[in-house]
Parts: sequence; C-alpha cells; structure tokens
Amino acid sequence: MNLTNGFAFTCPFKTNSGNKALEHLPVELAGLNAFKPLIITSRELAGPKAIGTLINAFGDSGMTIGVFDDVTETADLNVVEQIREIFLKGQYDVIIALGGGIIVDVAKILNLAVSLKVADARQLSPATAIRDPLGPFVVIPTAAATGMETSKYAVLSGKIFTSVHLMPGLVVLDPRLTRAKDGKTVAEAGFAAFGRTLEAYIAPDKNPFMDAYAFTALRFIRENLASAVNKRCNKKESLAVANAVAMSGCVISNTDQNMLHRLGQVFQNTVHVHPGIIIGMCLHPFLDDCMKKDSSRIASLLLPLAGDDKYAAMPEAGRAGDALRDLCEFSYEIYRALKGKIPRTITEAGIQQYLMKDIFDIINQEPDGAYLRTVIDRVGGSSIKA
Amino acid sequence: MILPDYYEFCCRVKIVAGHDALEKIPALLAEMGSKKPLIITDKGVAAAGLVDIVVNALKEGVTIGGVADNVPPDSDLKVVNQLAGLYRDNACDAIIAVGGGSVMDTAKGVNIVVSENATDLMAFSGAGALNRRLKTLVAVPTTAGTGSEVTLVAVIKDHEKHLKMAFTSYFLLPSVSILDSRMTMTMPPFITAMTGMDALSHAVEGYYCLQKNPLSDAHSLAAVNMIHQYLPSVTKNPADKDGRLAMAVSACLAGISFSNSMVGIVHNLGHATGSVCGVPHGICMAILLPYGLEYNMHKRGETIAELLLPMAGEEVYRKTPKAERAEKVVSLIRQMNQDLNEITGGRHARYFSEVKDRDGKQMVPREILPEIAKAALLDGATIYNPEDQDYEENLLVLEAAWEGKPLDRNKIKKG
Repeated sequence: MNLTNGFAFTCPFKTNSGNKALEHLPVELAGLNAFKPLIITSRELAGPKAIGTLINAFGDSGMTIGVFDDVTETADLNVVEQIREIFLKGQYDVIIALGGGIIVDVAKILNLAVSLKVADARQLSPATAIRDPLGPFVVIPTAAATGMETSKYAVLSGKIFTSVHLMPGLVVLDPRLTRAKDGKTVAEAGFAAFGRTLEAYIAPDKNPFMDAYAFTALRFIRENLASAVNKRCNKKESLAVANAVAMSGCVISNTDQNMLHRLGQVFQNTVHVHPGIIIGMCLHPFLDDCMKKDSSRIASLLLPLAGDDKYAAMPEAGRAGDALRDLCEFSYEIYRALKGKIPRTITEAGIQQYLMKDIFDIINQEPDGAYLRTVIDRVGGSSIKA
Repeated sequence: MILPDYYEFCCRVKIVAGHDALEKIPALLAEMGSKKPLIITDKGVAAAGLVDIVVNALKEGVTIGGVADNVPPDSDLKVVNQLAGLYRDNACDAIIAVGGGSVMDTAKGVNIVVSENATDLMAFSGAGALNRRLKTLVAVPTTAGTGSEVTLVAVIKDHEKHLKMAFTSYFLLPSVSILDSRMTMTMPPFITAMTGMDALSHAVEGYYCLQKNPLSDAHSLAAVNMIHQYLPSVTKNPADKDGRLAMAVSACLAGISFSNSMVGIVHNLGHATGSVCGVPHGICMAILLPYGLEYNMHKRGETIAELLLPMAGEEVYRKTPKAERAEKVVSLIRQMNQDLNEITGGRHARYFSEVKDRDGKQMVPREILPEIAKAALLDGATIYNPEDQDYEENLLVLEAAWEGKPLDRNKIKKG
C-alpha cells in the first residue's frame, strides 16, 4: 500500500453486534446522556415484530420511548417536519432508526433538523452547512438494510445530503432483527455491500484503515452470503452479512472510487431497482476492465475471497485469474439459489424503454459517463435502445 | 473469519496521515469550529525541535493560544490543573497534544477539566463518568508505539495524595490523530526499536486476547504486516521517510486493535516489570512477546498461526507445515528482537538479564523476579488473556524471559 501521498480516514460509529445486542441500548444511551429515545421506523417496511423486539429490549430500564412507525417509501421533508414536531413536543433526546433505506434517510435528516434547531425541516437542503457533530443517533439495521444506513449519505426526494456528521454514533446488529424474511433481500444487500467494498479494496489509493473494513466485509460476504440466501433461518450467517453491510457504509464514506455505487444509485433513484441488483450484474464487466488495466489489483482480491491457504498456494501470476473465477462462482451460487428472483441483466429487470432514457441522461452527466454507459450496455442495457 | 457471539468495536478518531499531515491541522480545526489551540507537550519533544515543526505548520489560519512544554514524564494532577488554567486564561478552544503517552494523558485530563468546568478531576475518574462531548483534541504522537492517540483511557497521578486516577470513556478519544513522518524522524534507533515492538505487542496480543473481533483482527493483521516489514529497516535507516510513516500508521492500527480486544499476559507481566524495576515499557513488551505467544499456544495455536501470512509473506507461509506455523510466528518475533539487538549495537535487549540502565547496571536482577510475579497478580490485564495465570506461572514465564530460553510449555497448568 502506498502511503506517500497521505490520507484521511474516519469511522464515527461504534458497532455492537451479536446476541442481545439490543438489551445493551439503555446503557449505551445513558452513556450519551440520553434517556428519552424516539424510534423512527415503519410498520410496513420493518414489521411490527421487529418494533416489538426493540421496545421489549428496553425492559425495565425506566426509559420513556416514543415510536414513529409510519415512514413510507415516498417519505419526504414534509414527513421529517412532521416528526420534528413530535420530537420537540415529546422532548426526546436521541433518535433511533430501526430498519433500512428510507427509514434511516428520514432519521438522518431529522437528526440534522433537531440538531441544527431549524424552525422548519423543509428549509433543509444538501447545501445546508453541517459543521458540528449532530445529536446522538443510533441505527439498528434490519435485513432490509442497503448499506447506506451507516454511510455519510442521506437521500430524500432525490436530494443527496452528504456529511460525515450524518453517520450514526452507534450501530446495533442483533440477530433477531438481521435475519431475512426472504433470500432476495439478503442477496440484494449483500451484493450492494460486496460491490462497494470490492471497488474500494482494489482502488490504487486505498489506505490501511479503510482496507481493514473492506477486507473484513468482503470475507464475511464471500463466506456467508450464499448460505444466508439459502438458509434464511440461519441467524449467524445473516448476522455476518449484516455486519459486512454495516461496514460497507464506512467504506463508501471513505473512498472516491464508487463507480458501482453510483450506478446502483442512479437505478434506485430513477426506477426503484435495488442498487444491489445493478451492482451485482455490473461486477463482471467492471472487473474485466480492471483486469485489463492492472491485473495486480484484481490479484489482491484473492486473499479476502479465497482465504489464506488458497491465496498463498497460488503463484502470483495466477491470482488475478483465480480471483475472477472465484467471483464468478460466488455470483453463480447466489443467482442459482434465488432461482431467477433477482434479474441478471437490465433486460431481465424489465426496465421500460422511456425510463432507460432517463437513466442514460443522468449517466451522461457524470464525468465518466461514457464509460458507465459501456458497462450498462454490457449488462443488457444496449438491447433497450433509448 | 469468525464472528463472535457478541462484540463491540469503536474507534471514532479521525486519522490524518502523510508526510505533510501537520499542515492539515488548520483546516481540520476550522472544520470543527476551533480557532485557538493550546499546544501541550514536554521538554524533550520541544528540545528535539518537533514543536517548532508543528507551530510552523499552523502558521496559516490559526492563532496559537500558548505552548506549554512542562508535562512531566509521569502525568501529574498539578500540571493538569495549571494547564487548564492556561487554557482558560488564554481563551483557547482546542488542545493539540504533541508527544507520547504522558502528554496524551495530560491533554486528556486538561480536556476533562476545561470541558466539564471541573474543580475536582477525581469526580470524573473510572468508567462512564463522562457523558458528553469534550473540547476538540488533536493528537500528534511523536513515537510510533503506544497507540495512545487512539485510546480511550487516561491515567493522571495525584502525587500529593499518592493517588493514581484512571479515566475511561469514548469521549476521551481525540477528535483527530495526526500521523506525520516528521514527528518520528529524529527518534534514535534504540527508541525506534522498542516503541515499534510495543506496537507489535499491541497488534499480536490484540489478535489472540479474549475480546478479539473481526474488526480488531483486521487492524492487527495490517499492523503486523507493516511492522515486520518496516521496523528493522527503519531502525537501521532512521531517515527513511516512508518507513517512518508506515510505522506511525501501524502503531495507530495496533492501538485501535488492542483498545478494542484488550491485552493479556505480555502487558500484565510487562506492567509489573515496569513498576518493580523501572524497565521501559517497550523493552518489556519486546522481551515478553514471544513468551506470551508460547504461554497461550495450546489455546490459540490456530489463531497465532494466522499471523504468519501477513508477517512473513506467501513463500514462508506455504513452506511452513500447518502444524508449525504458530511456532514459526514466535521464532520470527525472536528473530526481530535479535536483528534489532544487532542493529542497535546491543542496546535493544533480548532478555531481561540483558537490560541495563545508563550506568550499565542490571535493571532486573534475577532475585527480583518473584516480586514481579506477585505484583502481576494485581494487574487487570490478566482478565483478557486466553489462559489463566497464577504466581508460579508468572514466575515460570519471567524466568524463561530472563534467561532468554523458550518457555517449557509442559509446565503450564492448562485450564
């Protein structure tokens, strides 16, 4: 790793992972001088069982808990404003987001609103200056997490807020909540986290701190995703994937190498396809190109993917090829297990022609738009002429 | 990769590293809304010209609220209170700590006093007494070893009352740590060697102790890889800028690992040897590290074997049969001590019998080992060691480490 050019790294969140992790919450909150949490979640997206499990975890802590369980996929700044009023009226002092995706986006912007003490949350925009750390904020991802929950990004109505202060201070991963209802959900999250960390891991300018998170996430996903998809009831494997997904949020917040991530976001924002689906299908063309540019970077992937013994046994010249083979095997296992529930190409995803035009319009505006387009073309985008 | 049934991991410190990382401080302070930092350091650091480098780097955009270079080698409550007074008198709004462990401890103590408006620091001692953010603290370590730029503890001594106060809180973590190669460039080979071995002991103990977890592991593996690669060469060639930066980065990685997974017998016996005989901490770590691995080998053999690949690379790993990999790690660490001993012209001690003070007097006479073994029973670091320890076993390890002989593992009571 070349450190000569210098680097910066930060991961503001603490991770509590494992059995009864939720039951530690009252102590964790008291340590932050917080005693009255407002839980932001969704009955529809996170499910009443998860909400019940979380509330029960507070047991006889004596804490008064508020719950806003009405976040929907279409939530916007109006919803944030509605919750802001509840937060102020109830004199809550900490925000707990339970779930993934939009739930956490809403909670992040709510935290921004109450910490900056704005008079109306609807005044907030990506241009809002965020200088100081915000108030205490806990994220409890469920299996529906996308990986962006722990990141410095929050997306609401297409607007992207970016600040390291939007990241949570605590992430709680509890096996009762990270077990997926279906294999598709865990595969989507796993692919998204895998692609984001993989791209950072093979980046020429990576640093050892980010690398530690990326390495761990990649190995966890490689070792656990297929069985988490196959045996959804297996708590341990689902929890390992959830750990990796949470780590990927830290990785994506510390790298500029985010082509796969950006492609995923464009499809998510435009046609509401899970970014993991797009990242999963784009992995191969992306890696093929990387291989042509600098195969040594691909070779380094063999260590997290195949493990110490296989890596050491393979002579240097064969590592990149082996890493690619391993990756194909990995994707194949996932797709096979899902029996067509996840599209492998843009065509299979059934995205309408007029929407592809919108997607290409956005992609063309990116500095590397011409290249991004070639990637999309190779995963079936070319068959849908916009 | 093993996922424990339960684990916690946290390092909120922002890390900024590079050959010109100090120049980033003004912008970092501005980001955090601070304009007037108090620089806290010690006379040794100032005399080495390191504070001048820091002051120079701050020229643009920052008003320095004072430079206090009177931190004693052993932290002192009086100094903490005096520096807190200086901070307030000069209307400072941030602290920049430039130095080693004692400077970091003092700066953390000052930060508690000024942030909490405390008159009695004792009220904030222990774990969990702090529950809100403190003032901005920028840590600039001047050794590559302790990792105190990323740890959440501080120890302050009240010399009048003969009290040692320990503070533990995530709020004590510095806001930013600056890893700049210029800060360790002038470190003499002997100090480079022992502080580097201190870092290695953090990385290795962090890898086998009870609270290990996937993230502390990844930090350990990266640190072990870089320390094995760079420590002997930097000790040999102190002007190697890239090597200095790599050592600063690896000490920080190792600090993050051990502060999450904790440390065991090496630190336990090392603390006791330090307090009974006054042997520098890094020397104790260097000498005891191979013995810590041997002592825990029957419980952590497979884990220790995993260190071989990052340490020695693919070829050695491949050529070493699986059953011998853990022992190979131990022998490589012994070899590092041997190499460092040769590079420093014998100043880097390999065994306790070799440790001498400035006057050439033996610092650890053999007859004092029982006292050390006893003192170690009172040190908390045993809690996280995989294998239990008692007085006889402590003595067994200390005697082997005194003579420089491998540990007779048959004599360990396997719990």
